[in-house]
Amino acid sequence: MSWIGLDCLLLNPDASRPVTPDLDHAELCQRALRLAGQLRGQNVQRVALYLEDAADLAIALLGAWLAGVQVLLPADAQAQTRLQLASRIDLWLDALDPAEAAEPLAARALDLDRCRLTLCTSGSSGEAKLIDKSLRQLSNEVEALERLWGETLGDAVIVASVAAQHIYGLLFRVLWPLCAGRAFLRHAQPFPEDMQRISLEQPAFAWVASPALLKRMGDNLDWTALQPLRQVFSSGGALPTEAAQLLHAQLGQWPTEIYGSSETGGIAWRRGDTPWQPFAGVKLGVNAEGALRLTSPYLPAGHCEQTADAVELQADGRFVLRGRLDRIVKLEEKRISLPMLEQALMAHHWVSDARLGVLQQGRAFLGALLALSPAGVHALRNQGRRSITDTLRRHLAGHCEAIALPRRWRLLSQLPYSSQGKLAQAAVEALLAAPRPTQVEPLSAVQRDGEWQLELQVPLDLAHFSGHFPQTPVLPGVVQIDWAQQLARQLIEQLPPRFVGMEVLKFQQLVRPGDPLQLSLRFDASRGKLYFTFRNGDKACSSGRILLGPAQ
Amino acid sequence: MSDLQLEIKHLIIEALGLEDMEAADIGADLPLFGEGLGLDSVDALELGLAIQKRFGIKIDAEAKDTREHFANVASLAAFVAARQSA
Repeated sequence: MSWIGLDCLLLNPDASRPVTPDLDHAELCQRALRLAGQLRGQNVQRVALYLEDAADLAIALLGAWLAGVQVLLPADAQAQTRLQLASRIDLWLDALDPAEAAEPLAARALDLDRCRLTLCTSGSSGEAKLIDKSLRQLSNEVEALERLWGETLGDAVIVASVAAQHIYGLLFRVLWPLCAGRAFLRHAQPFPEDMQRISLEQPAFAWVASPALLKRMGDNLDWTALQPLRQVFSSGGALPTEAAQLLHAQLGQWPTEIYGSSETGGIAWRRGDTPWQPFAGVKLGVNAEGALRLTSPYLPAGHCEQTADAVELQADGRFVLRGRLDRIVKLEEKRISLPMLEQALMAHHWVSDARLGVLQQGRAFLGALLALSPAGVHALRNQGRRSITDTLRRHLAGHCEAIALPRRWRLLSQLPYSSQGKLAQAAVEALLAAPRPTQVEPLSAVQRDGEWQLELQVPLDLAHFSGHFPQTPVLPGVVQIDWAQQLARQLIEQLPPRFVGMEVLKFQQLVRPGDPLQLSLRFDASRGKLYFTFRNGDKACSSGRILLGPAQ
Repeated sequence: MSDLQLEIKHLIIEALGLEDMEAADIGADLPLFGEGLGLDSVDALELGLAIQKRFGIKIDAEAKDTREHFANVASLAAFVAARQSA
């Protein structure tokens, strides 16, 4: 393996150098030169690239840069995004023609300062924010990454769970391996099982992942088989300590967490629950509010970027992150830091994750969206919801004024982060504003031999639990019957519309918040009977027949 | 417990977004502010507005005993009853 600088990738095509397992460097160069010829021929000045295939993205980037075309990487391909960006681009490219026959441009070195890339990020306000980078900034960063971890990775094939449209995926799963001569896989794999399956087809591999994946590894991975995993990278959001610990326990190595942003590129890294180590050349400071600011070889020269992340700088140059400072809200003229309260909530052993939002209902007040820890779920099942919310209110009372105590609580088994590990404030507030659930969403539904098998998880926060019963929440039998009928109506066509009655109804086992349930549904059309059984593992919970008849 | 007290309890829960509370959780003599139910000065404003709107009464801007009327559900019910018959 030999390093080729980002500016020299189109020089000296080398058929023995891998780009992906099915594409070599010579072919990459040839296709990039042809694409450059095509873009030049069409007089394209500005192109948007939305290519899910990371090899196609590499070809398109190099071709566009060679042709002197400015590149924009949209965050998504939604109609609204395309409309917003339409005035900034001449061409939206979301597929490459492998047989492109345009006359190729001559290869030459790329100009690190003239070649430009614009990244799009959703930004905290929801409005797309454009961030302009020079090739030099990207080049500085991939060279630093190779100096730190090139030796550890060696010839590992790069397997990724994140998209390449964002700075982290672009650097870690495309540009860095491309310069290093390390093969990468074309497509992102969002599920851990797919990451494993595809990884095990490679002799050696490393993962470019995000907290969204790493905290949902589940329990059906073959950790022994995954031992050749050379390194796991995580970025995009905070990785929960438990997720890092699980990887350490199973693989004998800590994931490498990267802290950074689209604006700054990588700022620092760490392995395990230690302070953050800035990348070489990154100079740190704090403003009057304690928020990190920095200069960096990955920023334009001389530019000092102010972040909204509170930090504690240590004497040895490392730092500890203390949450975002821009999520400060005003409730009735009082400033309240949501991150501070979230950290206080997460310090309670019943809570594994917490996000706060503001609700306006007569007055403004806070609501808390909580992911309960196993201990929290246990408390909920045995003491009821009021006991949880009262205890957490009292716990918080020591950290804040009464006005900041959450009045509304929504309890979940996990918070709904996006695949990039983000959870927009607007989404938090929408979830808090919504009423507690009364229905259940099936996790899966398969039909076998005329019978439907559904996997369900009883929502922790089901509205029915408050009255049934306040201290020991139990799923009411009538709700089980309602769910069976409602779910059957979604799955089975032409179910008679009218509920006529019940037969051989049996309730054998209590169903409680968070229980996994398997529901079997079978409709006997000749008798007009819907057979249902709820099971929790090997224990039958309830069963019966619902009699259905034609409309009257 | 009088119907009026019950109605006021429901009004407190509804107007202040106390969704985890039920009327039975609020004793007629439970202090509404500070220790007790733990309402704050903004809640007092909200509750004052809600009471006036629901029962079609006015809180006397000159009276010095408004605070005492809002001490608990029992005093609030007595205040509303007195104002309605006035």
